[in-house]
Amino acid sequence: MKWIKDGGAKVATFLKGDEKRLDKNFPALKDHPKAREHAAQAAKLSAAVPEKAPTKTKKFEIYRWNPEQPHRKPFLQSFFVDLSTCGPMVLDVLQKIKAEQDSTLCYRRSCREGICGSCSMNIDGNNTVACLKPVDADTSKATMITPLPHMFVVKDLVVDLTNFYHQHKLIEPWLKLKKPSPAEGREYLQSPSDRKKLDGLYECILCACCSAACPAYCWNSEAFLGPAVLIHACRWVADSRDDFTKERIQALTEDEYKMYRCRTIKNCTATCPKSLDPARAISTMRTHYHNNI
Amino acid sequence: MASRPKLSGLQKQVLGLYRGFLRAARLKAPEERSQIESIVSVEFRKNVEAVDRKNFLYIEYLLRRGKKQLEQLKSVDTIKLSTLEVGQKPQ
Repeated sequence: MKWIKDGGAKVATFLKGDEKRLDKNFPALKDHPKAREHAAQAAKLSAAVPEKAPTKTKKFEIYRWNPEQPHRKPFLQSFFVDLSTCGPMVLDVLQKIKAEQDSTLCYRRSCREGICGSCSMNIDGNNTVACLKPVDADTSKATMITPLPHMFVVKDLVVDLTNFYHQHKLIEPWLKLKKPSPAEGREYLQSPSDRKKLDGLYECILCACCSAACPAYCWNSEAFLGPAVLIHACRWVADSRDDFTKERIQALTEDEYKMYRCRTIKNCTATCPKSLDPARAISTMRTHYHNNI
Repeated sequence: MASRPKLSGLQKQVLGLYRGFLRAARLKAPEERSQIESIVSVEFRKNVEAVDRKNFLYIEYLLRRGKKQLEQLKSVDTIKLSTLEVGQKPQ
């Protein structure tokens, strides 16, 4: 005699009024008592969440300069972001600011997972990629975001990396062979131990964080290649499949600027977002040359 | 001949860039050459009036941009230069 019971319940709710009809938006659950209880519980819990999560507003000071308004000098603009409504990384905060507060904020970004190297910038004094840097949850201190130091600024957080890419091209970062290439469809063979020599060198994403942090690169960026390019040069020197090792080393050591401006300051190793060691790579290349001449 | 005023390093760079543009224009076809020369001279003269002499940040930015544009113009595949006036956004 379910219909009598349900009919009675319907009359009761009709008489009581609509306040308790929590499944108003869910017509599929209509008249199912278990679903109604469950929906009531879920609604009560979800209503409590915004009250329980406190708003954590953090101040971000971001470097701004617009070449279309040249009379304005560069300045630090403050933005206040609620961290509880935002993703954990600095890139998420920048996206949120650009989407909600100021769409003229300019920065490079692509993969959001630390593999492309586009979003490199200076966050709280250290050069890192914004997509791998978690926001410091301490709301009493402001976070300062500025472009890579000692680099020419194109707009806001975007810097001019043409010299950096040109220097990377200079070292010829491709496989060069003297022996004939393998048969059609065959690979260039390499033993696992030889492949292991490339670990810690090939992972460089060319984010330019290390070169921007290196004082020697800042003192002569035209002539000194910088740690990022030198770690790539080391990667090609260490590759057993490459036949032009001697020529590569000779190109690097022929004058005193390309590699020898390195003063082992080790800022590069300290700041690398991928935890690589350019300083060690450069010193192994130096010893390799001194041992083999 | 009256003594020329001593030019600062930055001024020499700007003049060098202008000279570079004129030299690149010489390598193109005659009708394109005159068009390139007119566009470039209009741009430089406009910036002379508009930009403050002490605004080194902006002048260096314009120099870098100009050098990149000159590299593009110098390439053999570039045949001409043309400008497009973008209208003001309606307020």
